[in-house]
Amino acid sequence: MENKEYAREYTLMELMAATMAREFCDYETAFVGIGPPLIAAMTARLTHAPNMTIAVEGGAIGSSPRRLLTCIADTTIDERAYSCLPMWRLFGDQQRGFFDVGLIGAAQIDKYGNLNTTALGGYPRAQVRVAGSGGGNDIGSSVGRLLIMMKQEKRRFVERVDYLTTPGFLAGGDSRKKAGLTGGGPAAVITDMGVFRFDAVTGEMYLDKCHPGITPEQVKENLSWTLKMPAEVGETEPPTREQAEIMHTLDPFGLYLGNGRQKMADPQEGFEFYMQVLEQSYSMMKPLWR
Amino acid sequence: MIPRYLSVHDSILIGLGQVEKFEIAYNWGGIWGSDAVYRRALEKGIPRPIEIEEYSNLSVGMRFLAASLGVSFMPVKSLLGSDIPRYNSRIKIVDDPYTGEPVALVPAAQPDVAFIHVQRCDEMGNAQILGHLGDDDSLARAARHVVITTEEIVPTEEIRRLPNLTCIPYYCVDAVVKVPFASHGRGCSYYYAMDVPFGIQVGNAWATEDGFKRWAEEWIFGVEDWEGYCRKVGWERLLRLAQAEQRYQKFGEVR
Repeated sequence: MENKEYAREYTLMELMAATMAREFCDYETAFVGIGPPLIAAMTARLTHAPNMTIAVEGGAIGSSPRRLLTCIADTTIDERAYSCLPMWRLFGDQQRGFFDVGLIGAAQIDKYGNLNTTALGGYPRAQVRVAGSGGGNDIGSSVGRLLIMMKQEKRRFVERVDYLTTPGFLAGGDSRKKAGLTGGGPAAVITDMGVFRFDAVTGEMYLDKCHPGITPEQVKENLSWTLKMPAEVGETEPPTREQAEIMHTLDPFGLYLGNGRQKMADPQEGFEFYMQVLEQSYSMMKPLWR
Repeated sequence: MIPRYLSVHDSILIGLGQVEKFEIAYNWGGIWGSDAVYRRALEKGIPRPIEIEEYSNLSVGMRFLAASLGVSFMPVKSLLGSDIPRYNSRIKIVDDPYTGEPVALVPAAQPDVAFIHVQRCDEMGNAQILGHLGDDDSLARAARHVVITTEEIVPTEEIRRLPNLTCIPYYCVDAVVKVPFASHGRGCSYYYAMDVPFGIQVGNAWATEDGFKRWAEEWIFGVEDWEGYCRKVGWERLLRLAQAEQRYQKFGEVR
């Protein structure tokens, strides 16, 4: 894209989503989790990757909804989909190698890109219990390349995850291959501070880019191992105007990118607000799919 | 209890102390927020300690598929190298006898009884699911007994019009019960949208143990039957959720 016009204003979440959107290529088949990951993938699909297909864990492939997805097994995922499959069949297709790229979040990550979405501080009795694998382990095991979106915090970026839910490069080197895993492993981690990638030989994470206004030193302070980084760390590109406009249309009521969820929680006004969202989304989002 | 993932219905049983052990892939809170009942059970053993046996989504599906085929396990290329088999001795990592590569074996799951909610079913038990179907086709064949709850009971002639939609044939089914709006809270494709504000409020109510007890008193023990529940939610609200869903997708129509 030549002569890029950048958005004048954007939130940190929008910067993360726009940066993640750039990780997807046209004609790819992608496995994506709900929430900000889906906003990122849809933004890619509706800008530079019009022939990309998005599948969600609930079993739907190629949904083109005119409303925001709220759950991996929401009724929305079926809307104008190419196909709805039994879940084992969809995950089986992924194991077979039909999926180029996957995007998921995590509660904790280590320097080899292994993810923890199960438990912090002990197992099975945990200090903090989180969701569990879901499809995370399956996607991390066999997808072509894995993208990860998460919050940058010292206790989340650790030397070794408390519980290894989803395999990254395991102990580094060729340990992933030796374990019998078929997918390519993690390719990028995007946080609220920057972009990380992985060494092709050792499998160790390094800092690739910082978001505008963030220094590599600040990133190091929010991470608990000695981080490798190239001599020069680049800066993340801001969202383009087109990307920002698409994101606002995908989530016009700020359910993920703003305070829409809080408004829905209101015992008096919440339901009317929700009905208003479903009333108005159709005409707002319909033009996106032309 | 062997749900693929734990959602509000399963957490209610946990909160009421009715669950000893569950075998799952994950607990979903999603837009409803973190499920405090599940967290209290696993972090603090409230209301009772619970045993947990964890898998991934593919492996849960393969466990039902194995039982549906009458075999005792299925192989998967997931789980390898992770902590999931380390803490779950029922998963076996073996060398594939044909390739020599590592492969994970997951045991068949055969529930005593499965409750499956569908959009349309006839009186014989031929059940049709519209939209995503989880692994319900395998589950219906894996369980010893199957109870179908359905939005609508339709004539067999209607089922015969689109037989490909019948993912559960009558011979798997023990009983059919008409329960409209049975998925309220969550949605039902082509029938009604998810009630997101209701879900967020449920999540907030469950934040404390006392809050959960009060919620159960009000929403479970405080209503006499399903109709009572629907009246409490409000028929108008339910119909508006149906209208909202059908603005986007309605069976047999392009929207």
